[in-house]
Amino acid sequence: MATKEETLQYVQTLGELQVVTKEELIAAFDTGKGVRADHTLIKKLDIAEILYYIGGAIVFLGITILLAQNWSTLSFSTKVLATLGTGIAAYFAGLVFNKDVRTEAVGSAFFLISALVMPVGLYVVFDKAGLDMNSSGTHSLISGILLGAFLLSYALSRKNVFLLFSILFGTEFFFNLTSFMIGSGPYFDGWKFSEYRTLVVGISYMFLGYAFSKNEHAPLSGFLYGFGVLGFLGSAMFLGGWKPNQNVFWELIYPVLIFGTLFLSVYVKSRSFLTWGTIFLMMYILKITSEYFSSGLGWPLALVIAGLAMIGIGYLSLSLKNKYFSA
Amino acid sequence: MEYIKKNVSLVLGMAIPVLMIIFVAGSIYLPGLFIQPRFNFLYATGGDNYYYNGGQQYVVQNGVLVQNEKKNQPPTGTITESRLFLYDVTRDESREISFDEARGMNLNSNLVSPDDFEVVPGGRGGGIFPFDFNSGVDYNARYVQGHNVSKKINWVRSSGTYYYNDFHFLGWIKQ
Repeated sequence: MATKEETLQYVQTLGELQVVTKEELIAAFDTGKGVRADHTLIKKLDIAEILYYIGGAIVFLGITILLAQNWSTLSFSTKVLATLGTGIAAYFAGLVFNKDVRTEAVGSAFFLISALVMPVGLYVVFDKAGLDMNSSGTHSLISGILLGAFLLSYALSRKNVFLLFSILFGTEFFFNLTSFMIGSGPYFDGWKFSEYRTLVVGISYMFLGYAFSKNEHAPLSGFLYGFGVLGFLGSAMFLGGWKPNQNVFWELIYPVLIFGTLFLSVYVKSRSFLTWGTIFLMMYILKITSEYFSSGLGWPLALVIAGLAMIGIGYLSLSLKNKYFSA
Repeated sequence: MEYIKKNVSLVLGMAIPVLMIIFVAGSIYLPGLFIQPRFNFLYATGGDNYYYNGGQQYVVQNGVLVQNEKKNQPPTGTITESRLFLYDVTRDESREISFDEARGMNLNSNLVSPDDFEVVPGGRGGGIFPFDFNSGVDYNARYVQGHNVSKKINWVRSSGTYYYNDFHFLGWIKQ
């Protein structure tokens, strides 16, 4: 039996000679450890898989429309069966399909149906129980239950699709719980509070995306990076406000955030960072020129400068992409 | 500790929202532990105020509650009287009182009390679809607000239904 050092030296030689690829080495290692790779969410979706997910969404639409059109005529048991019953059945169907690698994507489509329909089922049950359906407390309860259910599913199966739904329901739970805590209290401006919460969720998504990029959850990084940077930069821009009610702190710090995002795109190797950083930089330039330079002779000059800046930003973005992200 | 060092990003990703929840809870509940409003107030609900001068049955003049003159009579039926309530800020209770009892009180009709509190309506729209879009909006709620504290009050609606203009603040009761 070779020593660890001899084995690693041999692997290095294989890498230099390009006899095997990194993915083949990792797959062989996992096979030896008995770990089955989670193929769901890894490769680009083909047309069949896209149809699976569209089909799942249409099933959800059908159930919701059935309920909406016949709310007063359907009995409680029928409503629960059509929603919660369907959700639970779809969940177990997903488990069955997931056992076979060939039907894993079908299983994920059924999990999607389950994740979409179960909240509706819980709403039906809690409505019958007399809870206020418009209350953040009820929304928190529903999203909390589903967060717990999908976290438990993930803990038992280690599937990325359960982790994805856990993140989504966790986000929903965060928003609903904080809304419940502040109620209709006058100290919290609704929009500002939502902007800050979106900022926090965006930062959290980016950290999670980075944490997952190094392990078997790497397929989720793209989603987390994309929505994380969108939420972060979007909410920071809204926090800056518009003249005459602008927030000077956020308007001044925003270019730092943008350039930080562009720099990080190289470090974490994320095209989402580069793309959204570029887009928001352009939007920021347009915002500042329209706020502060749109009167008098300065406006046409500001537009010319803004246009030239857009060209420069686009060229910079393309250069970064070609240098650090080309295959 | 080793786990945290190895998984700093994961720990930060989960900790940041939790810290915000703790921060929000602290900013809501902690100030209320140290600062409390001290002045009770008088308010009125309901009634056919349209038939009175000034559009209100009751007003405060020179620190005393008075009833406005009626300006016209309804074509049929009788005028519904407004109801008067005294709100106790320490007990969070409303007690209905008569006009004679209220007339004997010394009132401060300023919207802001001597200890810098005021009664304001609830609100808070906004939100981002599908997360928390417009939930929590309650324009019928009333809060005693001041010094970064806001405390929801139990006020008595006139007819059991919710109308934004049903609540009419009259004055702070001088001690």
